[in-house]
Amino acid sequence: MAIDPTPTHPSRHGSVRVGRRGAASRFHRLAQRKQLLFVAPAAVFLVVFAIFPLFQLLRMSVSDVTVSTLNDTWRFTGLENFQSNFASPAFGETVLNTVIFVGIVTVLGLVGGLAAAVLLSKSGRWTGFVLSLLVFIWALPPVVNGSVWKFLLGSSGLFNSIGLETGLTTQPIPFLFDDSYALYSVALVNAWAVIPFNALVFRAAIMGISQEVFEAARMDGATRWEEIRHIIIPVVRPTTLVLLVLTVVYGFRSFDFIYVMTFGGPGVATTTLPFLGYVQAFVRFDFGLGAATAVVAVVMVIVLAIFYARSVRREEVHS
Amino acid sequence: MTKHSSPGRSTVKFASAALATGILVLAGCTPDNGEPDPGASAAGGGDAQTLTVWHYFSDDNQVKVMDDYKDLFESNNEGVTVENVFVPYDQLNSRLITGASTESGPDVVVFNGADASTLALGDVLAPIDDYWASFADADQFPDSVVHSLEGSAYAVQGYVNLLGLWYNADILDEVGVEPPTTLDDLNAALDKVVAAGYSGITLSGLPNSQGEWQGYPWMTAYGFDYADPQAQPLTDAFGMIQDWTDSGALTAEAVTWDQTVPFQTFAAGNVAFAENGNWQMGTAESTADFNYGVVPLPIGDTGKVYLGGEGEGIGAFSKNPDLAWKYLSETYFSTEGQLIAADVVGSIPARADAAQDDAVTSNALLDAFATSIDRNGATYPSPAISPQSVADQQLEVGQLWSSVIGGQLTPEDAAQKAVAALEALK
Repeated sequence: MAIDPTPTHPSRHGSVRVGRRGAASRFHRLAQRKQLLFVAPAAVFLVVFAIFPLFQLLRMSVSDVTVSTLNDTWRFTGLENFQSNFASPAFGETVLNTVIFVGIVTVLGLVGGLAAAVLLSKSGRWTGFVLSLLVFIWALPPVVNGSVWKFLLGSSGLFNSIGLETGLTTQPIPFLFDDSYALYSVALVNAWAVIPFNALVFRAAIMGISQEVFEAARMDGATRWEEIRHIIIPVVRPTTLVLLVLTVVYGFRSFDFIYVMTFGGPGVATTTLPFLGYVQAFVRFDFGLGAATAVVAVVMVIVLAIFYARSVRREEVHS
Repeated sequence: MTKHSSPGRSTVKFASAALATGILVLAGCTPDNGEPDPGASAAGGGDAQTLTVWHYFSDDNQVKVMDDYKDLFESNNEGVTVENVFVPYDQLNSRLITGASTESGPDVVVFNGADASTLALGDVLAPIDDYWASFADADQFPDSVVHSLEGSAYAVQGYVNLLGLWYNADILDEVGVEPPTTLDDLNAALDKVVAAGYSGITLSGLPNSQGEWQGYPWMTAYGFDYADPQAQPLTDAFGMIQDWTDSGALTAEAVTWDQTVPFQTFAAGNVAFAENGNWQMGTAESTADFNYGVVPLPIGDTGKVYLGGEGEGIGAFSKNPDLAWKYLSETYFSTEGQLIAADVVGSIPARADAAQDDAVTSNALLDAFATSIDRNGATYPSPAISPQSVADQQLEVGQLWSSVIGGQLTPEDAAQKAVAALEALK
């Protein structure tokens, strides 16, 4: 029998190589499928609880949805709801209220959080107690928190009583019922509520700084303020950026404190976008109009979310 | 392992972060305390049956009435359990309406009577025409307490609630004034009590339907009418209110008060008057340690006082509407049930026979409210407002009422805004 020397099949080595490549490819595909399997619950959750509601919100915002049509077909009205909002003078006032509110919450929340973190960065007798107090404040439901503050800021509340008793004021300060004060008062309380979270995150960042750095600075004659300015603040800069975005988002979605403390009043003096959306949808039962307001708020927050995502990615690249 | 950061992945990251954030914003728009089970409904099968009743009562006496009704019905109907579910006032309507989209809800709904048309439009209430037509005692009820929409009845009020002028008799005696019968009397009395170091009057200035309900008598006292809204009567009424806040007779803090807080403030004893309702009788009896009384609000011939109260209806998705009707007919709509409410909270029975009962007619406080019904009683909400616009009207006027008390708007500006808002709702 003649033997054809021409190899009609791939060489042994080649066959093995292809076989290995095929096996690797199959393994890779299998791994990918496994990954998809693990991702599936989160993806389903996201679709059901995030994408679908957002889609419904967008659909509602361009439809005529009232109490009598909520459970029927929604008539498409284009941008009518948005136009109706923008045409209302109260809407501009509400946007301004929202910006002021977010500004106060953000500035005080960050500055207060950093200050508290610096104070709590050194171990001491009271540090553990204060830290647990911060966690307690952070964990308090806003409805409870708001009710307590409403009581404290009342005409006969703690602050006015102290002011009157000590002679600092001759009349009770109308914290919650004068339009010059009400928005600032609620914003201050909101800022107070976010300080614990910011303080805990800032403290974690500060605790990451080696003690040797501080010791070296002290040997060079640095004061505490100089330590804060030249060591702590630069080190917590990335944390500040993340907290900045989170606090702004927190301020934007603040609703509970306004609901409990002022119900948007006096008049509409403390009405912000989330509260306006609530009133339009769940008090006036104009769900389309409320959805349009919510979309405006969501768009503003999404812009901030994009900044947040970018800052996180930048930090990842740097690290 | 190398980490890749392709543009596609970045986009997904951005989109995920944005969507999650959006949901957080939306989640922040709905309060979440006081969670009733929307699936809770009558269990129709078997001997044991559960009947769910949603209400918004938080006052102890009002809660007691609900408990008494539960006991009454359960003792008359073996095997039936009545489950009273509290839902905060501000959340009741929205929960009922959003629950309707999933065809869930309670068997019986006890709600603000003014919201009957809103709830009927939202498919929350079942029509009760057949039940009402076959109800032997239907003729005991005046037509004004039957809430209908487009020819169908959806709810009935078992009792009437309205506002009156509560007064602290000890303070009035001290400053030497009689309970007022006219606006001039009231203003003069307020000047005197404030000069004597007391607070003048408490009321609610909350920027919602409660504010509108409380402001309406004063607005109509100057001739305001929703059928023909004019600015001048409102300017006059709002001017009087701001005179009260300027003089210290009324605290601007009222803008943060619902109707419960001002009465508690009055009951503490340092306030001469309270604009509040007959449902506070139980609270007054248990809290106030001074002599007090009630007179009709001194709002003249043109003044109107809403005849409010809770409407009672059957949930559109009740699995056992017959049992729900039986509950209503044996509690809210029965003589015995109405006398329980009259006794515990001072409600004025809607039934003619119950209203003539000794327990009602011998009560001096209730007599003042009964006089007010005859003299100034008005349908709530105003028939001049279309059912579709009631929620808007109450909110708009409530917010302006709040602005006036808080000093955010001048009487003239508030009046102009109110007229413009009401014109837009037509």
